[in-house]
Amino acid sequence: MTDHPNDQRASNSPSRPARKPAAFSLDDERVRYADEDPDEVLSAEALISMAADDETIPRLPAETSKPSKSFSFGKWIAIGLGGLVSLSVGLAIDNLIRDLFARTDWLGWTATGLAAVAVLGLLGLALREFLGILRVGKIDHLRDALTDAAEADDAKAAQAGLKDLIALYEGRPETARGRRALAGHMREVIDGRDLVILAERDLLAPLDLEARRIVMNSAKRVSVVTAVSPRALVDLLAVLFENIRTIRRLSALYGGRPGTLGFFRLTRQVVTHLALTGGMAAGDSLTSQVLGHGLAARLSARLGEGVINGLLTARIGIAAIAVCRPAPFVATKGPSVTDFMGELVQRAEKEDMAK
Amino acid sequence: MIRILDIADEARLTLANLADTASDLAVPNLRLGVTGLARAGKTVFITALVHNLIHGGRLPVFNAAAGGRLTRAFLQPQPDDAVPRFDYESHVAALLEERLWPQSTRQVSELRLTIEYESASYLARRLGPGKLNIDLIDYPGEWLLDLPLLKRSYAEFSVEALKRARAANRGEIAAPFLAELSGIDPDGPETETSAQALSETFKTYLAACRQDSHALSMLPPGRFLMPGDLDGSPALTFAPLDIPFDAAPARTGTFRAMMERRYEAYKTHVIRPFFRDHFARLDRQIVLVDVLHALNAGPDALTDLQVALGEVMTSFRPGRKSWLASIVSRRIDRILFAATKADHLHREDHDRLEAILRKLVAKGMEHAQYKGAEVDVLALAAVRATREATVKHGGQELPAILGTPLPGEGVDGTRYDGKSEIAMFPGDLPEDPESVFQTVESISPNSVEVDSSLQFLRFRPPRLDRTAEGMKLSLPHIRLDRAIEFLIGDRLR
Repeated sequence: MTDHPNDQRASNSPSRPARKPAAFSLDDERVRYADEDPDEVLSAEALISMAADDETIPRLPAETSKPSKSFSFGKWIAIGLGGLVSLSVGLAIDNLIRDLFARTDWLGWTATGLAAVAVLGLLGLALREFLGILRVGKIDHLRDALTDAAEADDAKAAQAGLKDLIALYEGRPETARGRRALAGHMREVIDGRDLVILAERDLLAPLDLEARRIVMNSAKRVSVVTAVSPRALVDLLAVLFENIRTIRRLSALYGGRPGTLGFFRLTRQVVTHLALTGGMAAGDSLTSQVLGHGLAARLSARLGEGVINGLLTARIGIAAIAVCRPAPFVATKGPSVTDFMGELVQRAEKEDMAK
Repeated sequence: MIRILDIADEARLTLANLADTASDLAVPNLRLGVTGLARAGKTVFITALVHNLIHGGRLPVFNAAAGGRLTRAFLQPQPDDAVPRFDYESHVAALLEERLWPQSTRQVSELRLTIEYESASYLARRLGPGKLNIDLIDYPGEWLLDLPLLKRSYAEFSVEALKRARAANRGEIAAPFLAELSGIDPDGPETETSAQALSETFKTYLAACRQDSHALSMLPPGRFLMPGDLDGSPALTFAPLDIPFDAAPARTGTFRAMMERRYEAYKTHVIRPFFRDHFARLDRQIVLVDVLHALNAGPDALTDLQVALGEVMTSFRPGRKSWLASIVSRRIDRILFAATKADHLHREDHDRLEAILRKLVAKGMEHAQYKGAEVDVLALAAVRATREATVKHGGQELPAILGTPLPGEGVDGTRYDGKSEIAMFPGDLPEDPESVFQTVESISPNSVEVDSSLQFLRFRPPRLDRTAEGMKLSLPHIRLDRAIEFLIGDRLR
């Protein structure tokens, strides 16, 4: 088995040398199954393991398509100022404790204890934020990996990504059925792209439905608040609040659970996504604008404004779904503003009639 | 393109299409052409397709079934009174109970499967019939080789057939036939005895080319290999003669005139009805190719298969379907090329198998895409006979398959009895599909090295477990669901 025929065929497959065909009878005593003792193989033995082995296919790393990070002075300023503020806070606390010790000992000890509690809390908070950011990052990675796998129709990459996806939803009992179905599909010979589509249909479909409901509800609330609010400032606050809540809930729904910092990162991604897809959705927004203004003429001005604000919220919600979802939309296109428009408009018209 | 059917046939086709269009208003009908040369696995594919649809097999990629919209699939009574019914039940019994593959098909048979479904869109659900008839036709794959002959005259056929017979890779097998041919004067008087003798040696030569060791494919006329019910009739008693490509018309009464007459009779009475009745009105087509069998035999067999598939595929009528044109003429708007028996390989090599198939059917794919049909290529196992495993042996990790080889199959001198299960590593398919078509002349003329680097055994059908109620589970498969989705999925949306 060790000598390879150095023929043309061997030179044609540079990734691995051509291997000769071989057959092993299963009732032969030299044949063992891997689950008995996976590690050592005697030279005369053949070890059979039922799982397929792992082999990576060389591809360009994902970073090649991303812009390199440029040198940022803003970060320096932030680091410098942040450090100064932390130092001043530390100094203030230190001074306080010294003062308290100078007055009475027990006051000083109490302050020291309180400071220790605060430090512990700070550490815990930092840890949680860190984990939150990690989780959000993991979801980004997973989405990238699954997108690549679906594009290249690479079954192995899809298998690896979907294993992570199943692990991500391990703690969610409502996904049990989908996870089991997907695990079943992964045992069969199915192409990479098809596997990602199956994951979308079996595991993510209920989550997608819920996400759509969340966005719909928040869009409705925004449109109602805009319609009845007495001041523009109230609108603004309501829209801001609703959008923050939507992003947070969507992220939690898809398994992100970001901390505060993770949430800021997520929000920045949502905004970037909005800016990126803005051009593509120009047609979409045009229809909504035209329809919205037509509507504004038909309805009272307030209700029309409400619908437009609702649509904007829906647009943000859609961007948030795209950012929070651990898999790309392959089989379906994902929700679009038009999906939400019908219901919002209907509702507004009904309210107008009721007036 | 040369017209393959005459005006009367075309008119008959158009009438039949009009009738079909009318009946499609009630329940739409989809004629699925299962195309493939002999032993490509047509019968097994049809059996597995019907079995999986009827018994609700595991078809995750087939959207209508996986989405729960497919309510029922059942077999209709045979629609065509003149054609035998496809013997689905006995094929299933042979596969499941005796674990035997079906015998090679000897005649045309037909089956109609009806699928009841609910469309995903509201309008189609309200207005559509919610039913789809699928007509499946099984036939001996050898007969497919006849289709290219429709475009050839006798002189053209003779020149091509003799050129092939005298080629280096066939010279040895064709020697008895060529010897017989050299004793015949084309312009001599006609005699029945020498016609029979010549035809007999021609048939023997064609049959010998098909043996496993050669595995050649381009062997027209197909009825010489699988005569059906016309065995011994004059239409099947001819052979190519040594005449030039642009020979002057033969004088009546000569041997050549007799051969020419019989060739034309073969075209009129055998090929044309077969083509008209079964192939001219297809909606979808799956082309099954047994790549592994040809790979086993080496580059000559592959090149031959490539030529045969190219010839056959250009006989069909692919094209984009338009609503208005489809009333009078049918076009094949989706063609799926499938490398069958993908279960004889580990899944890692499926992509390479697809690459080789792409190369094999390049001509047919180009033809279809140019005409506007949708084309896909995949590695398929309609019935999966093996499982996958990894074998560590002699310091190497080999991706292997587990299965029971057919009795009589063997590796390295070991013969198997058809009962014991083995782990088989069949060798790596090359990364570059081009290389399997090249003969390795520099090493040795009979290319021993090539033969030893790839070997595919044939395995018995899988043993299926029964559920608690005594029902057999559905037949396992590889990518059958993807094939079904591509072929009929869009009609069930």
